[in-house]
Amino acid sequence: MGDFLKGLPSYNESNFTRFHSDSSHRYNKPTVYISTKDYPSEQVITTEKTNILLRYLHQQWDKKHVSQSGGKKRDSQRANLSELSEGSSSSKVARVNSTDSS
Amino acid sequence: MAYNYVVTAHKPTSVTNGVTGNLTSPTDLNLIIAKNTRVEIYVVTPEGLRPIKEIMIYGRIAVLELFRPPGETKDLMFLLTHRYNAMILECQVDGENIEIITRAHGNVQDRIGRVSETGILGIIDPECRVIGLRLYDGLFKVIPLEKDIRELKAFSIRMEELSVIDMAFLYGCQTPTVALIHHDQSGRHVKTYEVSLREKDFLKGPWKQDNVETMASMLIPIPAPFGGTVIIGQESITYHNGDNYIAIAPAQVKLSPINCYGKVDANGSRYLLGNMAGDLFMLILEKEEKMDGTVVIKDLKVETLGVTTIPEVILYLDNGVVFLGSHLGDSQLVKLNSKRDSNGSYVQVMETFVNLGPIVDMVVVDLERQGQGQLVTCSGAFKEGSLRIIRNGIGINEHASIDLPGIKGIWPLCVNSEKFDNMMVMSFVGQSRVLQLSGEEVEETELPGFDGDNQTFVCNNVCFNQIVQITQASMRLISCSPGGLAEEWFHPEGKKISLACCNNSQVVIAAGSQLFYFEIESGKFALKGQTTVAHEVACLDISPLQDSQQPSNLLAVGLWTDISARLFRLPNFESLHVEMLGGEIIPRSILLTTFEGIHYLLCALGDGSLFYFLLDPTTGYLSEKKKVTLGTQPTMLKTFKSLSTTNVFACSDRPTVIYSSNHKLVFSNVNLKEVNHMCPLNSDGYPDSLALANNTTLMIGTIDEIQKLHIRTIPLRETPRRIAYQEQTQTFGVITYRSDSGDRTLPGFDPQPPPASLTALNTSSATSKLLSGGGGASSAGDALSDEQEVYSLNILRQSTFEVLHSHTLLPNESATSLLSTTLGEDPTPYYIVGTALISTEEAEPKSGRIIVFHYNEGKLTMVAEKEIKGAAYSMVSFNGKLLASVNSTVRLFEWTPDKELRLECSHFNNILALFLKSKGDFVLVADLMKSIALLGYKPLQDAFEEIARDCNVKWMTAIEILDDDNFLGADNFHNLFVCQKDSAATTDEERSQMQEVGLYHLGEMVNVFRHGSLVMHHAGENTTPVLGSVLYGTVNGAIGMVAQLPQDFFNFLLEVQNRLSKVIKSVGKIEHSFWRSFFTEQKRDTALGFIDGDLLESFLDLTRDKMQEVVQGLQIDDGEMKRDATVDDLVKTIEELTRIH
Repeated sequence: MGDFLKGLPSYNESNFTRFHSDSSHRYNKPTVYISTKDYPSEQVITTEKTNILLRYLHQQWDKKHVSQSGGKKRDSQRANLSELSEGSSSSKVARVNSTDSS
Repeated sequence: MAYNYVVTAHKPTSVTNGVTGNLTSPTDLNLIIAKNTRVEIYVVTPEGLRPIKEIMIYGRIAVLELFRPPGETKDLMFLLTHRYNAMILECQVDGENIEIITRAHGNVQDRIGRVSETGILGIIDPECRVIGLRLYDGLFKVIPLEKDIRELKAFSIRMEELSVIDMAFLYGCQTPTVALIHHDQSGRHVKTYEVSLREKDFLKGPWKQDNVETMASMLIPIPAPFGGTVIIGQESITYHNGDNYIAIAPAQVKLSPINCYGKVDANGSRYLLGNMAGDLFMLILEKEEKMDGTVVIKDLKVETLGVTTIPEVILYLDNGVVFLGSHLGDSQLVKLNSKRDSNGSYVQVMETFVNLGPIVDMVVVDLERQGQGQLVTCSGAFKEGSLRIIRNGIGINEHASIDLPGIKGIWPLCVNSEKFDNMMVMSFVGQSRVLQLSGEEVEETELPGFDGDNQTFVCNNVCFNQIVQITQASMRLISCSPGGLAEEWFHPEGKKISLACCNNSQVVIAAGSQLFYFEIESGKFALKGQTTVAHEVACLDISPLQDSQQPSNLLAVGLWTDISARLFRLPNFESLHVEMLGGEIIPRSILLTTFEGIHYLLCALGDGSLFYFLLDPTTGYLSEKKKVTLGTQPTMLKTFKSLSTTNVFACSDRPTVIYSSNHKLVFSNVNLKEVNHMCPLNSDGYPDSLALANNTTLMIGTIDEIQKLHIRTIPLRETPRRIAYQEQTQTFGVITYRSDSGDRTLPGFDPQPPPASLTALNTSSATSKLLSGGGGASSAGDALSDEQEVYSLNILRQSTFEVLHSHTLLPNESATSLLSTTLGEDPTPYYIVGTALISTEEAEPKSGRIIVFHYNEGKLTMVAEKEIKGAAYSMVSFNGKLLASVNSTVRLFEWTPDKELRLECSHFNNILALFLKSKGDFVLVADLMKSIALLGYKPLQDAFEEIARDCNVKWMTAIEILDDDNFLGADNFHNLFVCQKDSAATTDEERSQMQEVGLYHLGEMVNVFRHGSLVMHHAGENTTPVLGSVLYGTVNGAIGMVAQLPQDFFNFLLEVQNRLSKVIKSVGKIEHSFWRSFFTEQKRDTALGFIDGDLLESFLDLTRDKMQEVVQGLQIDDGEMKRDATVDDLVKTIEELTRIH
């Protein structure tokens, strides 16, 4: 009976060994964190503004052209693309043109 | 304009999310729980959970996850708020100091997209490559977790599955792979997708399973090498990983829907499951080694462990200890034992964490008639349903009392006893007595060497196992062993001793303006110094500041005539500091004490006011003088320890406990009318107790846990819905419902105690002449169905909260409102219940009742009933009549001399009129979605007319009338607003439209507003010009207060708020103005007409130089003219504001 409760994981064997239900109550409220220092964020999280349908169409279009013009070029194209600022339509036009000319 | 102040009196307590991990250091095991807008960080220690920090987030927390990217030594925390602010936080600990570093932040809201009805889902890939979010139907948002780039560019993937119930990232996959349960017309299905970061799209996943159980609700991803997921349904549990498929349908699982799980073993072989009935199960994945050496999952087993609170999150901590975070009841820390206890349970509750949520209804009452309000809330749900009595201050639980008039002082003594006090000295005019304490018995005794013929000033145990007794006549040193007088000291000129104080090894005696200082040696007093001060001594103290056993070199003295507090250095009485207190009231009690490592001098005056100062123990210098009014009579200060923390008891006509919280002094009322003297007592029969004396009685009791709000729980074990108080009968009426689901006793376990409505002294069941119950023909059929909600009206005795009478309503009848009132000329107090008959075929109830009950002498009788065409959502008393909102209408009923309700008039202009409040001839109505409207009653025409309406869309949850022109409302999007009617407008059109003059995002869903206050108002004390007080109760168990401010003061505080919002940096870099802006699905408006009291109060936690930064250039109105504000001005103002709640 209760074998399924044997060998419960232990991270630190002493944890909860000195637990007393009556003494712990007083310290239950953690102090409130207040920060007055401004740490700059290492990273900002942004979200893509491009409509996903448009992005899908662009991708389909890209795929079609890439399959026509061979795989090798596609990689270099992609590498360039990732540096382009997202959602900027002018760059997209440029990209389409460059693919055309190739 | 509106000028409101809103502040939290009790923070949210319901646990919404939780995780465990190593956040504060690579080795600390942390428990992190989210309570709506706050994150609490704990560390697991041998003593239990130790709180580290509470972090306020400027948003309601939707997702809380820990993850450890490659290269990190400890976990990072990912948070997402309901307003789509995402953040990645790191916790840096440097000794006691903790900094929360926002490593990444940003808003991931889309401009378009339909918000998912199943809420926000957020998951993190086990390999920490991506975060996956489902915010809108049909879209899966990916935040790639890339290092070393400035910008984490989140993108959305279109998902065919519109209704996703749950999702999880699978373990052990080359590319991040998400599994999800989704719902369509044909049922529920599980699918997997690989997330391609390159294509920004889903690729076909490794497996899928169509048509899983129709109520499948939860996915548990299983770690490698097994991989796959467990799918939890309402009747079955399935394991699936593409090749392997195991399904079981254990009987226990069908009892109640499983709503959460917690992983026990890191390898995923055991999980804990919790359900809505509070049953805790263990799910065991049994393994089998195949011939080829691979291990696969062979079988699933479910074992019942016992009954706990209803968990929302289950977090396995360590060594069999589990944290159960609850939304519907108290949270618990439990231990899993491998042996059953006497009730058959494997679960042992170690600690309980109070949760008031969800607060559904509440009343403000003054049961003890002390002029101080108490709240009684309907809290929790199902088996965790309860009433909570919330009062400001500290409760003393009486254990013994003796009628003894005229006590002038009490002291505990420990005479030849190792651990406990065994005697108590009591002083009276002209005599003193010693009591022997043996067990709980108390009897008078003799103490050899004790002077019983004089009034005692001080009596204490001192060093060398001796006792000092000081009376008007002399100072006596009494030896405990052998017993008897060792030495006696008289004033050299035969003067009477007027005052004295002593600690373990020192005595100071005052005779008029003369002071004598002695050190206590074995068997004798050694006079070490004497002096004469300027005026007669009024009070003195020599309490050691550091260790109570060590001698002190500081003496504090209060003087007559010049009304000063002075500090001297002993032994030579070198004057260190003189503080003029001002005024004409003499100091009556002075005390040196230390709270949380900060030294204070407290000085109480004869009028019940108290000065307190910060004290430099080396120089004796006093600074930061502050004054507070505690009572109206002379106040006596005494220290006592409660669980190794120093507190001060201020004896007066308003007894108060002074303690320190967050390095600030807190003054908390005690639930006793008057205390003249007190002493701590730690005897064998009364451990950790206090002895308290007033004019007539000596009482021994224990003190509650010290906190500002004191909460008492009355378990109901069923869901409370409405509460009303009836002063005339000293009772509460409580509407509850229980689920009669037949016998759900688990084999091998003791049955649970019955719900409160089944324990009543008297019971009755509804009979109705008007309705047969059941809204239709289905009633007979429904009665047989598994689960039925049974509503009852319960009458509870005010003093004991026992259920005196329980009245069961009709089958399928649901009580929607409750009111205690008198009607018309009839002086009888009535409980009036509004009901609806629920039928599954109807979208809205088509019929219901208003039932009038009278409670008298233990019996509840139905006096009248009235059939109505819908649900009575709300009822108020209206000039001796009854006003009820019934579906879309507002109806006024008159009470006839034949004791019947007669419809007088109606008003129609709502979709559903959910809430009513009245004032004079005005009625405020809140609609389901059309905000609020003000009606006026025309007695001559017997009709209502609509005076004004707020024309904006607002889904209402609660309303209150602030005054004749201002109306407070709370909506479904966690906002507060104030609308104003403009009677002075020139056109009818303008007059008929209310203006939004207050807009504020509270971040809590308010269920109820009540006029009232939790604090006692002392006449003439409050210099803060705050008007009115409306309390609110929320779904997450928070209690707060809305008050009105004068315009100048509002503008001043608004300026402070703006400055504070710049000085205090928010975690996750969410602007305060964004957080408090009024926000609905349709619009966002800048906050208006409300001061954020929570932000304002955090000023007091700033360092002094940051306070200075806030104050810099701030102008304060000093009554007559404006001048530059100082830090002390602002501290004083804000400390006063903290005392209004």
